[in-house]
Amino acid sequence: MASQILPLELIDRCIGSRIWVIMKSEREFSGTLLGFDDFVNMVLEDVTEYERTPTGTKTTKLAQTLLNGNNICMLVPGSNGPEE
Amino acid sequence: MADRGRGSAPRGARGGSTRGGRGTPISSGAALDKPKREAILDLSKYVNERIRVKFTGGREVTGMLKGYDQLLNLVLDEVEEEILEPQIHKRALGLVVLRGPTITLLSPVDGSEEIENPFLAPE
Repeated sequence: MASQILPLELIDRCIGSRIWVIMKSEREFSGTLLGFDDFVNMVLEDVTEYERTPTGTKTTKLAQTLLNGNNICMLVPGSNGPEE
Repeated sequence: MADRGRGSAPRGARGGSTRGGRGTPISSGAALDKPKREAILDLSKYVNERIRVKFTGGREVTGMLKGYDQLLNLVLDEVEEEILEPQIHKRALGLVVLRGPTITLLSPVDGSEEIENPFLAPE
């Protein structure tokens, strides 16, 4: 049991580093993780939002954001996003 | 002190009178109201094996299970996401945390194979 990695622990270790968040829909965010809560709502900084459409990917830059955990599907710690 | 902490001193202090009707606690072990719920799938047997995970919303990934918790959040390594549009292709994601609330299906890759579509009318 001790040899496995706990998911929320891995996210916790990522606080202060870059994280890539993939939503259930065709939307992704990459930013610096400032923190998260029990529901994995997340606070990110220096965020780039990627919206994938059939015609291409639209990016938007955001400052500090609160990301609602309801739609979060996957988290990639230490990654700069889809264009890395 | 504890009642004040919860912000409802009058309610907390007198259990019987305000509850009207449910005065007699039948089960002396009131703390055992809810049976302890265990996971129906023991994920420890899949650790270090490749599994396929599907999500609500249509995403599909495969990866090596490295860790999990009671809420079905997973840690997968060497993850490949299978994307179906514009054409079927894969992208590598590396070490990923998968959110339990969005997971709909888990199955081991070993032992599964892709077959011809059995529902197509034969030519």
